[in-house]
Amino acid sequence: MIQTVLNTIPTPSFEYALLSPILVMFLAACLGVLVEAFLPNEKRRFAHLIIVFTAILFAFFAVVLQSGPNGRALVANGTVALDGPGWILQGTILLVAALSALLFAESKIDPLGDAFAARASTLPGGEEEKIATKLGWAQTEIWPLFSFAISGMLLFVTANDLLVLFVALEVMSLPLYLLAGLARRRRLLSQEAALKYFILGALASAILLFGSALTYAYTGSLEFGQISNGISSANNSPGLLTAAIALVAVGMLFKVGAVPFHQWVPDVYTGSPTPVTSFMAGAVKVAAFGGLLRVFYVAFGALVWDWRPLIWVVAGLTMVVGSVIALAQSDFKRMLAYSSVSNGGFILVGFSATSRPAIAAVLIYLIAYAFATVGAFALLTLIREQAGESSTLIRWKGLGKKSPVVAGLMSLFMLSFAGIPLTSGFTAKFGVFTAAISGGATALVLVGVIASAIAAVFYIRVIILMFFSEPIPEGPFVVVPSIFTTIAITASAVVTIILGLFPQVVIDLISSASVFLR
Amino acid sequence: MNFPWLLIVLLTPLIGTVLLFVPKRFVPFSDQQIALYSSLITLLFVIVIALQFDISSSATTQFDIAFDWIPVFGITFHLGLTGISLVLVGLTAVLTPIVLLATEYEVQKKNKEFLMWILLTQASALAVFLARDLFLFYVVFEAMLIPIFFLVGRFGGPKKGAAALKFILFGLAGGLVMLAALIWLYFVAVNQLGRGTFSITALSNELKLDAWTERWLFLGFFFAFALKAPMIPGHTWLPDTAEQATPGTSTMLIGILDKVGTYGMLAILLPIFPNASIEFAPVIIGFAALGIIYGALIAIAQKNIKRTFAYISISHFGFIVMGIFSFTSIGMIGSVIYMVAHGLSTAGLFLTVGYLIRQKENSLISNFGGVTKAAPVMTGLFLIACLSSIALPGMAGFVAEFMVLTGTFQKYKIPAIIATLAIILAAIYMLWLYQRVFTGTETKESSNIIDLNRKQILALSPLVALTLLFGFYPAPIIKISESTIAYTMTLVGATDPQPMIKKAVNQ
Amino acid sequence: MIAAVIALPALSAAVLLSFGNRTNKFGPWLAIFASTGSFLIGLWHFLQMVARPAEERPALTTVYEWLSVPAAGFKINFALQLDQLSISFVLLITFVGTLIHIYSLGYMSHDENPRRFFAYLNLFVAAMLLLVLADNYLLLYVGWEGVGLASYLLIGFWQHKPTAAVAAKKAFVANRVGDFGLSLAIMTMFIVFGSVSFSDVNSGIVDAPAWVSLTLGLLLLLAACGKSAQFPLQSWLLDAMEGPTPVSALIHAATMVTAGVYLIVRSASIFNASEIAQTAVVITGAISLLMGAIIGAAKDDIKKSLAGSTMSQIGYMVLAAGLGPIGYVFAILHLITHGFFKAVMFLGAGSVMHATNDNVDMRRYGGLPKVMFFTTITFFIGYLAIIGVPPFAGFYSKDHIIEAALSHSWWAGAAVLFGAGLTAFYMTRMMMMTFVSKSRWHEDVHPHESPLSMILPMIVLSVGAATMGILLTRNHVFEHWLEPITGFVEPEPPLPIQTITTITLSVVAIGVLIGIWQNIKIAKVAPVKVSFVVKAARKDLYGDVLNETLLMRPGQGLTKSLNIFDNAVVDGFVNGLGLFVSGISARLRRSETGYVRSYAMSIVLGTALLVIALLMVRI
Repeated sequence: MIQTVLNTIPTPSFEYALLSPILVMFLAACLGVLVEAFLPNEKRRFAHLIIVFTAILFAFFAVVLQSGPNGRALVANGTVALDGPGWILQGTILLVAALSALLFAESKIDPLGDAFAARASTLPGGEEEKIATKLGWAQTEIWPLFSFAISGMLLFVTANDLLVLFVALEVMSLPLYLLAGLARRRRLLSQEAALKYFILGALASAILLFGSALTYAYTGSLEFGQISNGISSANNSPGLLTAAIALVAVGMLFKVGAVPFHQWVPDVYTGSPTPVTSFMAGAVKVAAFGGLLRVFYVAFGALVWDWRPLIWVVAGLTMVVGSVIALAQSDFKRMLAYSSVSNGGFILVGFSATSRPAIAAVLIYLIAYAFATVGAFALLTLIREQAGESSTLIRWKGLGKKSPVVAGLMSLFMLSFAGIPLTSGFTAKFGVFTAAISGGATALVLVGVIASAIAAVFYIRVIILMFFSEPIPEGPFVVVPSIFTTIAITASAVVTIILGLFPQVVIDLISSASVFLR
Repeated sequence: MNFPWLLIVLLTPLIGTVLLFVPKRFVPFSDQQIALYSSLITLLFVIVIALQFDISSSATTQFDIAFDWIPVFGITFHLGLTGISLVLVGLTAVLTPIVLLATEYEVQKKNKEFLMWILLTQASALAVFLARDLFLFYVVFEAMLIPIFFLVGRFGGPKKGAAALKFILFGLAGGLVMLAALIWLYFVAVNQLGRGTFSITALSNELKLDAWTERWLFLGFFFAFALKAPMIPGHTWLPDTAEQATPGTSTMLIGILDKVGTYGMLAILLPIFPNASIEFAPVIIGFAALGIIYGALIAIAQKNIKRTFAYISISHFGFIVMGIFSFTSIGMIGSVIYMVAHGLSTAGLFLTVGYLIRQKENSLISNFGGVTKAAPVMTGLFLIACLSSIALPGMAGFVAEFMVLTGTFQKYKIPAIIATLAIILAAIYMLWLYQRVFTGTETKESSNIIDLNRKQILALSPLVALTLLFGFYPAPIIKISESTIAYTMTLVGATDPQPMIKKAVNQ
Repeated sequence: MIAAVIALPALSAAVLLSFGNRTNKFGPWLAIFASTGSFLIGLWHFLQMVARPAEERPALTTVYEWLSVPAAGFKINFALQLDQLSISFVLLITFVGTLIHIYSLGYMSHDENPRRFFAYLNLFVAAMLLLVLADNYLLLYVGWEGVGLASYLLIGFWQHKPTAAVAAKKAFVANRVGDFGLSLAIMTMFIVFGSVSFSDVNSGIVDAPAWVSLTLGLLLLLAACGKSAQFPLQSWLLDAMEGPTPVSALIHAATMVTAGVYLIVRSASIFNASEIAQTAVVITGAISLLMGAIIGAAKDDIKKSLAGSTMSQIGYMVLAAGLGPIGYVFAILHLITHGFFKAVMFLGAGSVMHATNDNVDMRRYGGLPKVMFFTTITFFIGYLAIIGVPPFAGFYSKDHIIEAALSHSWWAGAAVLFGAGLTAFYMTRMMMMTFVSKSRWHEDVHPHESPLSMILPMIVLSVGAATMGILLTRNHVFEHWLEPITGFVEPEPPLPIQTITTITLSVVAIGVLIGIWQNIKIAKVAPVKVSFVVKAARKDLYGDVLNETLLMRPGQGLTKSLNIFDNAVVDGFVNGLGLFVSGISARLRRSETGYVRSYAMSIVLGTALLVIALLMVRI
């Protein structure tokens, strides 16, 4: 009797090899926990570094080796889709995450140690904090959290099932909430940011979950493929489904920080430790858009004519509002936060085209943006004052005199953000605009043109500050980083230039792999 | 593929730039020398090319060289030489060493950087004039902003930051609109030709646009070019920039780079959007004529020498645009000559009086007076530049202006007559400036002016020579640009009007 | 070969200017050599031409192809046309030019930089020769503006004097107004005839519609007015006297200012084809000749008085040129004689100034004959010539003009007759004030005769002033000489010649008498209580006041307000846009309250909107 019941349940097929990237990162995270549990304080950091970097390396190679044509399949009973975009996204996430990891690992810059609080539990500014700092303790839990987040992202971008999607979302978000609160300097701000992020994130997740439920109610399935079949074969009242799509969209748009769901971005980006910020702006953005792409192209693709106009509106709003508010920012971190919002808008422009080139364009934009933004944040960590990072723009006057290299590289990334040709930023913009116009969204492109003209102002203002004005007395100083940060910066710069001069390399790779499995 | 002359020309200044940063123990030259020599070598190559250029050939472009760049979009790295681009490449190659030689006083501790940006400016100018792929053209058109942006911002006057920002924003604004048009054009090509291509030649020969698409695309490109040229009312960035920029920068910017605007109209707008060009021509001619007078009148009212020059250039760009859209061989060739003449005279103006301004860090007219006493040579060379710029017969400027006016007059009487009024205004703004700065009683500011040194005189003498040469013998420019203009005319489908009365046999 | 006439002075000018102070030593001599050389070459060509029969005299030399766009049938050669008309000018220019070069040797000896002066003189000679030798209007234009440039440089030669600088600019601008006309004329010629060469225009004009000849005629007249200081563009000539006196003699009396007359005569075919244009020319000439005479009669500054006279005499020429075939020859004839006698008078004035520490106020002259014998004599000859006393040159040329004018219309005749009287008056006045009357010198002034280099040219020129008339008019040699080019018709005045001559001479006599009678006594300072005519004349008949109120003031207002408009409105719009955006930015920024509740609220609202919107789309 029981036997028969058991027989009715199919034994889940589980392709370990194909899922290995996700699993490896997950394993690394668990190992990290064990390290925390059993290794003495002073040995942990080293162990973590070994684990995380080998894991990322392994995962990346797993991606590279298997992402070939015959490595594309729906796995784990069709709940995970390892298709071209999936692999590309996973690879990108791993690379960007690796760069962020390097920033996490940096401990030369701040005389007090790495970017994270010595003891998260201590009262900000309290006695214990001082002691903990003096003892040179480090919050090594960041590493397992970091690994969990990555594994969550890897799953998120390949999830082919609303439930898996939700789980992945939580796996990637919860560690971020914690990481956001672990800043060594300005801890109160950091903790406030963490809390905000958590509350709003929870709200968004709830909305997403509700949306998923409605979808199930309408289509009777959570798997993307069947959802789209259900939609096309459905004949009963669509109101339900519409609501479902809207709610799911909100859940995703929150993560990508689209207007009007963007307000958490500046606060959280500013409050978090800069390495974490770079991680969010880079890897998380890639992951969020990856998820968005898959859900809307695969699951809700049939209804594109319904949701595309909305995406147009959101995209336009996001570009304009992001750029315009960024104009008024005096803090570099906050400015980049808004810049990430407006860049999200540009990605949405490409996204709205819903075509093969559109997918490629979005992916390229994500890569270009992720690397540039990580590079910019990495450079920010080097520009310091006694109190910590110096992110007040006005104080950067004449930085070009103090350190031409740092200022020069910063200018490179700024020009890339501004979309000046021969940088990755231009390639990306060209891609999404092309996609959009082919999708008939010429008007939206014109909005984008205006937005990028506005955006250029605040990017270029940074260059003017650094190079065209005299340095102020007791201004910030530039520290020489260890190998970690150096690698991170160099890598981002190289990608930014290569993608600007010879985009063909990447384009070939991506456009060959821009079909979703369903 | 033929011998990659154009690539070599393009690479020379870039190599020069690199050499600047090679440790001195590997290169036995000072930074100045490196920059100057590389620019002179460039000039040499350009001369070699000019000598091989076949003016009788029917081919659209010569010395072509092309590589795939971004195949998915059919984008190629395609360099080619038309008659017009040869003329402008020549101008670039001539002016750069002159600037380097005449503004040595610019380069103090930041000299490496200054020289680097100048060389990069030259390289981008060469690239933009040689590009035969519209995408490549666009890329350089935008990238070109960066060197000038830094030249203005790093070496400019007190308000340099604001000026640099204004300059680059105008540039980007134009560029982005052009980008949208560019992409649109690309899809039109894809749908029509079945393949994506940015080849200017292909687009102009094969594409048949429907009326409205063509109009919109034309406007998109024209917007960018008109801002660059600059035409009124999009001109206000030029005075601010010129006021802050150093003489060398202004020469590179106004003398060379702004020509990209008019070059674009001639080499891209007309061939690719012939019908729209014809349609809009009357309006544009009107604006040009307006700009000529507007710029001239405002130039008279300026209190600042550099701003005066800026407004003079605005007036002169009016002439160039007018000639281009007159759609007569005379007018269009006149415009080509005008670009050269304007480049030469602008250089003469900025590089002579620039040294004066440099010495006093003050470019107010009222500040000077009777300079001729202390600096006769500067005065003389400046006067020659003045006379060329006000189109005195015997100077290159005259041939250009007369041809532009005649060409326009053949088809558009009233605008031409209005524009002709400028010859009176020109005399006023130029000679009044000259009178107030160089003649009259010597102010104490101008008593201790140092005159131009040998090097500067050496640098400026080619300007004088060329100005006179083209004034009395413009044949070289005419011959070189003739075939390209003729080709453009046929693309546009314009013909030269015949004289009212059958021409008498003699002559 | 004829090109050498131009090349010689041009090259010498180029050398002197480009090698600068290194040529100070031999500069003046090189210049003199150059202009003498081109005179000799000119003479040689002249003799050859005389040898040839009339119809073979004109010769065209194409130096090279200057502008040519085959596609548009646009072809303008750098070609020189040597015919009876141009050779006459070549000789005048180079001869008088050379003399004045020599004169300057003495006159400019005290100047700090004579070399530059001589360079400019050469430049002028070259440009003027190009003007008269050009075979087409565009090349003529080159010389036309070239002489303008030389005049600009020479008027402003003493650049340290603000007045000189201003005067120079004024002259150039006024000329440019004329050039506006010339440019338009040339363009019109091209679109009508497809060519701008004299021959093509002449052959084409016959079957061109009437408006063509009228338009061209008026445009060319405008050009002539600018160059020849005719009404309404006359005002620059008096200020031009700021330049060194030799310049005034050569450029602003003998040659350049007469270029307008040359242009009209050269374009004879055009004017012959249009009554109205011709009448306009006659009227312009009449007005100018009277205005000039009146101004000349009131000035105490000897040079300005002479300048007024120049304007008046050119008025005669222009008027004559406007009369058509009956006038052209005499216009040129008067041009040549005037070249001599006016030059000699200017040089005389220069010599006087030279002797009186550059004082130009005739009221402080007087009593010069005993100290300056040659100057007085030569000046006196010039005087007799200009007022038209037989057998001096002026008599013949002017008398012919008067006859022609009378045969054209009574009013033209009246004008020239009255002009003759005025001329006699103001010249006598000048004669009296400068020489005849008692000395009224400034204290420190000790007049002395000028050096030989200055005297010699004056003597030579005065000989010309005395004899030219007879030489050229004896058995109509000059009529026959020019007829093939300008055409010639014997004027038929309403009165017999003798009568006219008698009337003329008596008018002149009256003028002389009044002149003497009025200037028996001469105050050292100009009397203030004078008739409004004199007041007006002293103010150049309000020419400048007119320009001020009609052109300069409004012009300045316009440019200033346009400048403000450009900064406030055009640029203001751009900057305003920037401010607008940053304003919005500042406002939007406030939406960042930092309160989670408001963030959550906006998320919820956003969601609601999204849902509603989607439902709307569905329906």
